[in-house]
Amino acid sequence: MLKLNLTITFLLFAVGLVGQTPSDAIMMESKVVCILFEYNYGQFDQYWEGPSIRENQTIATVKRNTVLPMMAVGVVKNLNLFVGLPYIKTESSDPNGGKFAGASGLQDLTVAVKYKAFEKKTARGELRVLGTVSFSTPASNYLPDYMPYSLGAGAPELAYRAIGQYTFNSGFYVRGAGTYLWKGYAKAEREYYYNNGSFYTSWMDVPNAITAEGIFGKKFLDGSLQVELNYLKTQSLSGDDIRAYNSPQPTNKVNMDRVGISAHYYFPKIEGLGIGLYHHSVINGRNAPKISTSGIGLTYFFNYLKRESL
Amino acid sequence: MRQSIYKVFSILILSGFVACEKELPTFLEFESVQFSSVDATAGNWTPILLGSGADIAIPAPSEVNSSAYLAELSALETAIGQKTKADQQAIDYWMDSPVVRWNEIALELIAKYNIIPGPNADGTYTLPNPNTPDGPPAFPFSHPPYASRVLAYLSVAQFDGLISAWHHKFSFNRAAPFKQSANIQYNFQDNNIPSYPSEGAVVAAVSRKILSAMFPLEVDYLAEKEEEHYRSLLLSGGNVSSDIEAGKTIGNAISTLALARASGDGMSKAQAPKAVSDSIANAAFERFGWKWINLELPQRPVGLTPLFGKVQMWNVLNVEDTRPIAPPAVGSAEYLADVAILNDYADNVTEERRRIANFWQDGLGTYTPPGHWNEFAKEFIVKYKQNPIRAARTFAYLNMAMMDGGISCWDAKYYYHYPRPIQTIEGFKTIAGTPNFPSYTSGHSVFSAAGAEVLAYIFPQKANQVRDWAEEAAISRVYGGIHWTFDAYIGTDQGKDVAQYTVNRAQADGADN
Repeated sequence: MLKLNLTITFLLFAVGLVGQTPSDAIMMESKVVCILFEYNYGQFDQYWEGPSIRENQTIATVKRNTVLPMMAVGVVKNLNLFVGLPYIKTESSDPNGGKFAGASGLQDLTVAVKYKAFEKKTARGELRVLGTVSFSTPASNYLPDYMPYSLGAGAPELAYRAIGQYTFNSGFYVRGAGTYLWKGYAKAEREYYYNNGSFYTSWMDVPNAITAEGIFGKKFLDGSLQVELNYLKTQSLSGDDIRAYNSPQPTNKVNMDRVGISAHYYFPKIEGLGIGLYHHSVINGRNAPKISTSGIGLTYFFNYLKRESL
Repeated sequence: MRQSIYKVFSILILSGFVACEKELPTFLEFESVQFSSVDATAGNWTPILLGSGADIAIPAPSEVNSSAYLAELSALETAIGQKTKADQQAIDYWMDSPVVRWNEIALELIAKYNIIPGPNADGTYTLPNPNTPDGPPAFPFSHPPYASRVLAYLSVAQFDGLISAWHHKFSFNRAAPFKQSANIQYNFQDNNIPSYPSEGAVVAAVSRKILSAMFPLEVDYLAEKEEEHYRSLLLSGGNVSSDIEAGKTIGNAISTLALARASGDGMSKAQAPKAVSDSIANAAFERFGWKWINLELPQRPVGLTPLFGKVQMWNVLNVEDTRPIAPPAVGSAEYLADVAILNDYADNVTEERRRIANFWQDGLGTYTPPGHWNEFAKEFIVKYKQNPIRAARTFAYLNMAMMDGGISCWDAKYYYHYPRPIQTIEGFKTIAGTPNFPSYTSGHSVFSAAGAEVLAYIFPQKANQVRDWAEEAAISRVYGGIHWTFDAYIGTDQGKDVAQYTVNRAQADGADN
């Protein structure tokens, strides 16, 4: 069975839809609100047990459905606030050898703040540097120690992200981001576990992690269509390997490389409405699912103080 | 201004959580105490494998005023003078209750090797082989029957070794080095137990030998632990080297005896070949009209240790004396009532039932249910300040009862060969992993009830609590979706019944007088 918890936060915020996430370089004006409603579906039938990829008919194909409502608010100039809370359902395909029940429920509530620290226009384009701090914590009593069906890591998480983007006048842009993720403790419903030795506690130390992202994109149609290719590398800073033919657990070291494509389109005739599509796949990893995920989302902007500001 | 707000915000959040970083316990920390008894006559208790505590001979110790002893004492003083920080950490780790730490090491190895072999690329399975322990898969697969046996041999050999040690301690009555030299400070409470032979050394030698036989890939690790333990016994001020050497003599002698029993107890034949396994299943089908089948993909050709029920028991002469009544026939009204209960639990996983199912799961990769009961025993031993021989006695009877319980349970499992819920309830899903052996009776129920009865006998103040736990462990398997209610209830009765044989023996060993 498989550890998915690390992926979740990233499915959530890192390279989801283009636009208005804590990981992109878009800054909303103050008093603007963006509402996002996203659905995504991911599945995998292979995973890395330590460094080796394998199949496991006990779990067959693991399927993961996510519904994510999120809101972004331009609070004051250069500062955006984000709040999101996904609902997730997991299960195995039939037939499978394990006959395990899947899981469903609310995952983690995430609150993030994005700040634009620097912006400079040059003859050829524009440079932006932004920083994000996000905090997430489980919003239900889902069991993290139930891999690969667990909804998430079950631990509070604090992420610090630095983002730099250069947009050429031609509409091409490149973006890089680095994140440090502090992860707290997940609580299992058992008093003992093995993590390269005995642990007499129900608390499991979820490894901290770092990520690096590279994005190459272009804006079309006066900026109403935006297309991106992205690459994300995630690396745990500690943790153990999944043992042979054994379940993963929240203490595992999870590394992965993921590539994806995404597009976002703003309807020119309906002010504020946009639609996004994306797909990404994990192509390499350690104690990670080889998961491919596709998502679709609707975004809607409006100015919450429109009347007053007019 | 905004930048500083940002900074303050993030520093507050970060410091809040950094403050939550904690050391997670990897062993039980406890204080050195005045034990609740010294048991000066424990050398007369009836051992399990030995005829008596006097059976293993050790040389008479040198007199405390002899030049040989004084040389040992002076060597010890020098060694203590050169004690390093690492030495002190080792002393603080090993403490003065050797049985507790070696039990923890056993549990750790059980958890490390409790990994079920996966399928090969062609869909076949390779079984762990003691002749080629490196595998893959590595030997052993320390599943619950294997674990119960490891713990039984370990604890029985420790107990017998300590009866022998107590016999000699109170015959020779040589006081510990910290009582002989004003230059030696003891790291622990003085319990007035003579130091020749060293009880710590007995336990270290026994444990290393038994566990090395049970976990052949851990020979080096165990030898390292053993050496560290001997050194800590010396540097704590509690023993001179002749105390240690005499302890080793006893430890080696009793573990040889224990391992001789182990090699002929039938365990090596427990994992029957497919032909035998099939004939067992077909015999049940002829008799009852049902048989359990493994539903894993690819299917495992043989269930777990079909002949564990034939392994030699400790305190029951004939396993069939403890065989429970037949389960309800598949399709009967009683069976259908259980299907309804299981469907209800599966459709309504409450927080409480999920917690109970997980708390007692003790599945793959863990120390197994027998390990869980050793954990409870360890906590009681520390709480009630049992001295090393009392601690060994607790573990010995606990683990004999649980191994006997396991043997009795496996006899029932393969005699009745009853299907698991996923086999007979269409589309049924579970929140616990369905094990690779028949359903009736539940191993958790039998192990737990057997363990609880011994703990209730030794710690009567905990009797209600441990019996409640055993019942919860039993029903946890029903909540997990992998057992019928009658597997649990009848398994609990079976465990109590089997344990009574062990409790009867304990009551007659002389320790209660």
